[in-house]
Amino acid sequence: MSVDVEVVGATPPPAGAPAERGTWSLSWHGLRTVTVLELRQRVRSTRWKAALLVWFLVVGLITLLTTGAFSALMGSGDEPFGGMVYSIVVGFVLFLGLLVAPTLSSGAINGDRNAGTLATLQVTLLSPAEIVLGKLAAAWVAALAFLVASIPFLVWALAGGGVHWLALITTVLMLALVLGVVCAIGLGFSALVGKTSGSAVLTYLTVGGITAVLPIMFGLLGPVTTTTEGVRVWDVEPGYTWEETTPPECEWQTHEIDVWHSERTWWLLAPNPFVVVADAQPLADDTDSLGEDGNLLAALQYGVRYARTGDSGPQDWCSTMTMDGTSPDSPVEPVQVTDQLVWPWGLGFDLLLGAAGVVIAVNRLRVPTGELPRGTRVA
Amino acid sequence: MTPDGGIRAQGVRRSFGPVHAVADVDLVAAPGRVTALIGPNGSGKTTLLLMLAGLLTPDAGVISIAGADPVTQNYAARSRTGWMPDVFGTWDSLTAREVLTTVAAAYRLDAAAGRARASELLALVHLSELADQPAHVLSRGQKQRLGLARALVHDPDVLLLDEPASGLDPRSRVDLRVLVRRLAAEGKTVLVSSHVLTELDEMADDAVFISGGRTVATQSVADADRPREWRLTGLDPEALTAWLDQNGPAYRKEPDAPGVLVELTGDAAAAALLRSVVEAGVDVSSLAPSGGVLEQTYLALEEERR
Repeated sequence: MSVDVEVVGATPPPAGAPAERGTWSLSWHGLRTVTVLELRQRVRSTRWKAALLVWFLVVGLITLLTTGAFSALMGSGDEPFGGMVYSIVVGFVLFLGLLVAPTLSSGAINGDRNAGTLATLQVTLLSPAEIVLGKLAAAWVAALAFLVASIPFLVWALAGGGVHWLALITTVLMLALVLGVVCAIGLGFSALVGKTSGSAVLTYLTVGGITAVLPIMFGLLGPVTTTTEGVRVWDVEPGYTWEETTPPECEWQTHEIDVWHSERTWWLLAPNPFVVVADAQPLADDTDSLGEDGNLLAALQYGVRYARTGDSGPQDWCSTMTMDGTSPDSPVEPVQVTDQLVWPWGLGFDLLLGAAGVVIAVNRLRVPTGELPRGTRVA
Repeated sequence: MTPDGGIRAQGVRRSFGPVHAVADVDLVAAPGRVTALIGPNGSGKTTLLLMLAGLLTPDAGVISIAGADPVTQNYAARSRTGWMPDVFGTWDSLTAREVLTTVAAAYRLDAAAGRARASELLALVHLSELADQPAHVLSRGQKQRLGLARALVHDPDVLLLDEPASGLDPRSRVDLRVLVRRLAAEGKTVLVSSHVLTELDEMADDAVFISGGRTVATQSVADADRPREWRLTGLDPEALTAWLDQNGPAYRKEPDAPGVLVELTGDAAAAALLRSVVEAGVDVSSLAPSGGVLEQTYLALEEERR
């Protein structure tokens, strides 16, 4: 054993002593050590490999069924059905990802604490930030493995046509970021709560909150954000009866009608992971093709953009009532949805949540520990 | 002893809610010596070691580990402390060797140095043959040895061993004792907590007794001037007690044993007693210390507590 007998003298720490490193100091070496440790443990548990296989089969099955169903529906027509298949597959991958990602990280810290392996890392020269971010990286890599296993099916759906290839890149990128955020939230809860089941539940509740509760609030706030106001309307002349064969003369009138100011509450929709993924793709120029193509992602994107546009000003009640439905001389501009992006706000909010998870976890792993979460011990 | 080395704790306190796990502990462990930390279950030994290891903040008191304060200079203190917890998990799916290389990496050793150190330590704790087995196949004692190797990875100046002997077979206990003595001989400060007092008798130089979270006594094991009890057994117990009644020191009879217990100070006194008994024609079959030094002190303290 090469134990160097250190001369313990009155001299301050020897020259070779490491400089003081704080809670937040990071090094590539430390991060890699923790990540490799976590991944090694994960890979060696066969349960995880089985989960990946099941995932692959489930996503594959969904792709196959969707493709089969729409091929049958569309018949032998040339119409591309890729948009529909693509959006369904992306939706399922995201949905399953939101189910799986919390399990990857929500036991990372309290699980280790219960197993008595956390303290053995904390006494080493790893900083709390290295332990937390290493664990986050490992959980994220695991989540990305699920994402990578679904890419073949996304590409397959893309091959069905109707979706711009650029959409694949934005979709995969956003899926990856959203899953990373969920991992970070789970990590935060696993540092806060003693029991792994508790942190898993809290993570699911948070994900459910941004996915379902906020959009429901958006809907419930509808009556509150709806006001009755005078709106300029391009309407038929007063006294015009629809029995007449001549087209009506249109004129400007002011009507007292209800206007939903969804531009005041659209941000409640933004953090929703599905919205983030949908809105990040390039906005379709041709809104008419939305319905035919059946691209649910594009429809969702159009919907949130529409919500953000909100009150669209003057309305045209006249032209649409003519026989051919068009009126070239209508002074009312057709509603143009905003090209202001929704996803940066939503993703920004989600990233803040994830960052909060990381900050909480790092603070909880600070040594020496002052406060302990109830029902836990250090080692 | 230099002022900077070793472990010093003064007036250390820590409570968890209403429970005063450590109420007032003073402790000094000198470099080059093995110090035993002795106390009944729940006396605060593990909490104290957590504070010394830099994992837990004391509510009050001052700690110095090899010259560094684990509260304000946590990183420096951690870099010089090797801590072996009493109950600890291992990364079950990793092999023994991987556990040690991971810990080496966590102590910022580079990969090559870490591998070399891991092999060295595996040989030291006799786990070389099991080096590439997953840690979950190791027995409790083998895990314990792996835990000891883990505490030694970064060649710390101060070793904190919490119940290192529990679960060890006799051979491993002897190995542990030899290893601990060697580490102390190399100038390291070793603090060992244990219940196995006879074990500590042979291992420790000094002892700190804590009870109810307080330091109740400190003692040097090698202190020859302390009176201790010896057990004296004769072929004819009655002749022996008759002689002792007339000439010998005070004695007390053991309830279920043929011998008597005599309090003597130092080996010379024992030799003198033995000579006079034999010269008086009383046949003596044995004269030996009854129990270890630490055990006697411990039991005496227990007595006081009641």
